[in-house]
Amino acid sequence: MGAEDQPWSSRFRPKRTAEVAGNREAIQELRRWLQSWEKGVPKERAAFIYGPPGVGKTASVQALAADMGFDLLEVNASDYRTRTRLEELVGRAATQSVTVFGRRRLILFDEMEGISGREDLGGIAAIADIIKNTRSPIVLIATSVGEENEEKFRPLRDRSLIIEYKPIPTLEVYGRLASIAKEMRIDASEEALEALAVRSEGDVRSAINDLESLARGKGKVTVGDVESLGRRDRQEYTPDVIRAIFSSRNLREARRAVSQSYVGHEGLFDWIYENLPLILDDPGDLHDGLEALARADVYDRRARSSNYRLQKYMFNMMSGGVSFSRRRSEGLGLRRQILATTARLGFPQSAFTLHEAAEGLLVKPVRYLGDDWGRVNGAMRGLGASWVRGGNAWSIPYLRPPQLRWRYIRTYQSRLRLRSVSEKVATRCLVSRKEAVSEVIPLMRVMFKGSREMGDGIAGWLDLDEDEAAWLRG
Amino acid sequence: MSGGMWAEKYRPRTLDEIADQAEIVSRMKNFVKDRNLPHLLLVGPAGVGKTTSILCLAHDLYGPGYQNFILELNASDERGIDVIREKVKNFARTAAMASEVPFKILILDEADSLTSAAQHALRRTMEIYTRTCRFCLIGNYSESIIDPIQSRCSVFRFSPLPEQETKDWLRNMAEREGVKLLPEGLDAVYEASQGDLRKATNLLQAAAATKGGEVDDVVIYSVLGKVSPERVREMIKLSLRGDFLEAREILRGLLIDEGLAAEDILRMLYSELMRMDMPEEWKVRLSDSVGEVDFRLTQGSRPEIQLSTLLAKLAMAGRENVGR
Repeated sequence: MGAEDQPWSSRFRPKRTAEVAGNREAIQELRRWLQSWEKGVPKERAAFIYGPPGVGKTASVQALAADMGFDLLEVNASDYRTRTRLEELVGRAATQSVTVFGRRRLILFDEMEGISGREDLGGIAAIADIIKNTRSPIVLIATSVGEENEEKFRPLRDRSLIIEYKPIPTLEVYGRLASIAKEMRIDASEEALEALAVRSEGDVRSAINDLESLARGKGKVTVGDVESLGRRDRQEYTPDVIRAIFSSRNLREARRAVSQSYVGHEGLFDWIYENLPLILDDPGDLHDGLEALARADVYDRRARSSNYRLQKYMFNMMSGGVSFSRRRSEGLGLRRQILATTARLGFPQSAFTLHEAAEGLLVKPVRYLGDDWGRVNGAMRGLGASWVRGGNAWSIPYLRPPQLRWRYIRTYQSRLRLRSVSEKVATRCLVSRKEAVSEVIPLMRVMFKGSREMGDGIAGWLDLDEDEAAWLRG
Repeated sequence: MSGGMWAEKYRPRTLDEIADQAEIVSRMKNFVKDRNLPHLLLVGPAGVGKTTSILCLAHDLYGPGYQNFILELNASDERGIDVIREKVKNFARTAAMASEVPFKILILDEADSLTSAAQHALRRTMEIYTRTCRFCLIGNYSESIIDPIQSRCSVFRFSPLPEQETKDWLRNMAEREGVKLLPEGLDAVYEASQGDLRKATNLLQAAAATKGGEVDDVVIYSVLGKVSPERVREMIKLSLRGDFLEAREILRGLLIDEGLAAEDILRMLYSELMRMDMPEEWKVRLSDSVGEVDFRLTQGSRPEIQLSTLLAKLAMAGRENVGR
């Protein structure tokens, strides 16, 4: 099978660890553990990797083996049936630390979650025995598993270095999709790739599969295509949740609104934060509401780092704490923001009328805007508006989806440059990367914008590439 | 005008080239004469020559190839004490070959950003490799370095450069770069940098780029207006006026578009607030709020949500006519 015929998720499978997206620290830990074998057999003879699907668990082990010159012996679910089969496969390999060609060996037990039912338990005991005596490093991989599996894997986990892999940040998924789209010469809009990345929830493989299924044969992907992939976006339910939180009369109701939410509480934080200043237009209320949300955030961290029973306080603060901060607010935040926006564009208050409709506020220009339409439209879109053609008005939803994540995605390239430039500045100017970002680069941008000659000089001195220099010029 | 950053171009290369900090320089010259030195701890504000002086010392001690005998790490950039120890181990394991000096020098910048547990681990490492390696720790405050390390180091305290020296330095540089630096421009640079020579130099270079030839106070202020502290000031002003949404927009720009760390924004916010004209009682209250946010950030809280509570606090202050 030629490269063109392979599914993209295999074709673009990382070959080296540098190409693996995300989970850098986990991979680093694994690398250190493998390195420790050079000095003899370490205390933990196996590493147990677990994490959600499509985050590069197997790929990173294969890439590490290639980087570090290991001979990789892979064992899969179908091999786990019997002790005899396992011993046949890996028994010898495990007790000899090098192959006949003198290469070091790495044994990988993949798809461990495939061990199921009573009859396979013998397989686990056999693997445990192999680990006890192995002279080659063994890596075990399982997709995140429920409590029942937790118990089942205990004999293995107790002897292993445990490493957790996390979902890949949306940004990195986006970056991966963008580079594949470029290489395959696919005409895909940024928004479409963003939508695919967000949709994947950190599963790179599924994102690449989606991209392939949309692009194969026509070489073009639009936002509409991504929407056609089905599975309703769970965020649609969220405005209802926010409304329920703010209209609740007691803590029980408020909490019920939060607990019935379809988005995880991670997403709810963003939704509440985005809309709080629109709903709580009184400064005192806003202050109390934000503080309640910030306290909820603190409990969230505490729950993660010490004990999940602390989560109930988080739920109380982000539901009741936020909702009961509404005392004097009139809910005019959105109106005020619209008026402030049009005033900034130089229009008197009388130039637009505002109507309440079910889906949002309708902003109607009193007279024909002519050439000004584009300018106003841009500003209105910034507030989440869409132009209703027949109604000759903008419709602005009362509640706005969180802007944060999109903004992060949109500025992805720029932050990539910031990172690479700050590393070069840190090395050359003997400052930390943080100082480079906060102290040196802002002034450097002024230099690049002010004088082409000086900018070129600095670019040469710092060994910047053309993209980086262009970024500094702005 | 040759390329590069002036701050590097004019960085002194030898101890003799350092114009100020006379007492420190003379102590360091004695180390060079002795061909030996203790572990060092250099403390003082930013941009007063801490890193420069240890590099000059290394140059004078080992000669032009000094780069082979030193390793510079920045504690705030490394991922934890284990990574630092690993690097130190690899570096310090071997004695300095091809040199009459039997040890190498490890420079650890921003050592005061290490937690005290990490510093204890570092102390142990220092002891193990004392024979082949000297440690030079650099930081802003000696109080944030644990006592056992302080007691093993010879401490050098750097003070901010005096106004006259800073101005002489800047005037000299401007002349060599062919920039006409007017007296009011020079005052403005000094006012903005307060003895931080790196900041002053970068500011001057940026001003020279915007207006090749002549630099006055207007240019300096317009450059300052384009960099972050000015945006932070704008954010405070909008908050006080009760314009939370606009203020939050700036906050997002700083966090996301400019990639500033929340801690850095907080630091700028704090120093602006303390400099503002407002009742002392409010200063204490706001400082308490900033401190609380700072603490929560160390606990890993969501930066934007935490920082924006301060914008809401300022809006409350604004309602009582504070800081206008």
